[in-house]
Amino acid sequence: MSRVLVPCHVKGTVALQVGDVRTSQGRPGVLVIDVTFPSVAPFELQEIVFKNYYTAFLTIRVRQHTSTHTPAKWVTCLRDYCLMPDPHSEEGAQEYVSLFKHQSPSMTFPKWLSHPVPCEQPTPLLEGLPDPSRVSSEVQQMWALTEMIRASHTSTRIGRFDVDGCYDLNLLSYT
Amino acid sequence: MLQEESDLSLIIAQIVQKLKGSNLYAQLERQAWASLQRPEIKLESLKEDIKEFFKISGWEKKLQNAVYSELSVFPLPSHPAAPPEHLKEPLVYMRKAQGSWEKRILKSLNSMCTELSIPLARKRPVGEQKELLNKWNEMGTDEPDLSLFRPVYAPKDFLEVLINLRNPNYENGDSLSFRTHLGLIQVPLKVKDIPELKELFVELGLTTGQLGIDDSTQVPPELFENEHVRIGQKVLTEQDSAAAQQYIRQGSPTALRAELWALILNISSHPEDILYYEQLKTNVIQHDLLVDSLIYKDVKLTASNDDYYFVFEDYLYQVLLCFSRDTSVLSHFAYNSASPPKSYIRGKLGLEEYAVFYPPNGVIPFHGFSMYVAPLCFLYHEPSKLYQIFREMYVRFFFRLHSISSHPSGIVSLCLLFETLLQTYLPQLFYHLREIGAQPLRISFKWMVRAFSGYLATDQLLLLWDRILGYNSLEILAVLAAAVFAFRAVNLMEVTSLAAAEAVLADLSTLKVMPLLQIFLFATVT
Repeated sequence: MSRVLVPCHVKGTVALQVGDVRTSQGRPGVLVIDVTFPSVAPFELQEIVFKNYYTAFLTIRVRQHTSTHTPAKWVTCLRDYCLMPDPHSEEGAQEYVSLFKHQSPSMTFPKWLSHPVPCEQPTPLLEGLPDPSRVSSEVQQMWALTEMIRASHTSTRIGRFDVDGCYDLNLLSYT
Repeated sequence: MLQEESDLSLIIAQIVQKLKGSNLYAQLERQAWASLQRPEIKLESLKEDIKEFFKISGWEKKLQNAVYSELSVFPLPSHPAAPPEHLKEPLVYMRKAQGSWEKRILKSLNSMCTELSIPLARKRPVGEQKELLNKWNEMGTDEPDLSLFRPVYAPKDFLEVLINLRNPNYENGDSLSFRTHLGLIQVPLKVKDIPELKELFVELGLTTGQLGIDDSTQVPPELFENEHVRIGQKVLTEQDSAAAQQYIRQGSPTALRAELWALILNISSHPEDILYYEQLKTNVIQHDLLVDSLIYKDVKLTASNDDYYFVFEDYLYQVLLCFSRDTSVLSHFAYNSASPPKSYIRGKLGLEEYAVFYPPNGVIPFHGFSMYVAPLCFLYHEPSKLYQIFREMYVRFFFRLHSISSHPSGIVSLCLLFETLLQTYLPQLFYHLREIGAQPLRISFKWMVRAFSGYLATDQLLLLWDRILGYNSLEILAVLAAAVFAFRAVNLMEVTSLAAAEAVLADLSTLKVMPLLQIFLFATVT
């Protein structure tokens, strides 16, 4: 089963603030980002990928349509997921994050289900090392990823530093 | 596939990929083919029999050491969506600061080039090549005119850059308040406190035997030293890198140190390695680089003036000149926030097929650089072995001391760790020094940038570097710096100027590092 990117519209952040929103004194610690999916076709969301920028905790809520008769309701998929273990320091501040379907007990998405999926048990922590023969077969899938990583690294020139015996240089370049 | 399993598989895939290009892989393949002749290898159980053969013959151990080496050096693979620069340094503002700093260095080198009308690189005429080859072992006797050359930068220039580092997302107000840092470093990196350091450096505790403490003349060797030496010999016989790294946390016996460091760094001198070094030597003979003059100047200014190291002057040239030509060093820029300087062949500006790195290894030496090599000369006398050890030490540790990054062993974190330890556990001293205009970091920075080389007595320095290898971390440098201040706190409290504070801390050559570290971490009332 191949995975594709789902087109989505990410709206600007809205601060959750009590009182006059124009007051600059208060600096709200909670911001809300709305994400809508303009495509009509149903899909099964597997993974959300984003780059963090100084968000400490993340909560994801989904508006779920169960049937055409009952009104849509908001379901919390993820609550206070920790992105920065120490919010006053840089740990995790600018990291790339993936959230998977299995991490959320009731991650269901609108427009494709007529009834909610039963609550999945959170997956247990891995005990010990994985089975070697299983890993070696899965390594094949990883080649594509590592090839991508390797290809984008600074290419190392093995041995030779000159070009056809010539190392007569201009000045150093500022890129 | 579960997230944890897929992470592990990715790590395994990356390590396999890396090792596939190595000499060890070719050797293992050859050994596997050769083993087919052996009677105990049966076709029905080929895979298991070969694995068993590798285990018995010690090849599995070599593979284990290679894997362990990869794990120690390379960071864990990051998220698939992360670009390569994220692996070098995840924080954008640090990357930018490193980029600006590099630009300054390049400008400085370029202006030196144009002012002195000396090319960055020059092919030596045959006569000059012959001459250099003849005096390869005594380059120290040369007295070239280096008066016009100046070091590209000194540690104090670098410190100014670090002091001005700011996180654009960090709000701490312009006025001095609780939230502004009292020290010089103003970026909020996570650093360990003493309880966490005690956990990390548990083997340095009061109840564990240490070389540097429990091998002193008053202590009978039966209590600790003899047994420790015996275990060290066993570790060497087993040729196990991971065991050696664990063992060396309690210090290395002098007689075993050279071999232990080589085992931990996974350096073994094969004919190919000696050949590679000879090739680098040929490169030095053929081309003269501007950075060579910088290296000469640095050695003359630092190591040659040092009572302990001046005897090794010739070795230093042989290592550092070859180091500049070594393109294999370029691979460490994948996890170094710095990038190698780029240039083009004359007349081919902008044409990518004529783009080269300068110097070939991408590392521009600064004032004091040769002090990273000098202590190693006590351990290794064969030039290619000395060279390999230095190169590995550089790409594992030393590069972090002069590049701007958020890594816990990077110089920025070490500075912040030092300042935080001092503020937290010696607040009176810290306040006093600040009041008299002697910010502690201004004094300790140069110790940490050089990993204390040239400041401590050599036997003490080697005991310190044992622990750097043992814990695979440079944090001990910051802890030692704080411990030195703690040790001389009484004198420091009485001084009234920066110059006087510097005088109190000018001579560290009588210090014993292990007792200082032990007292600071485990015996100070907090």
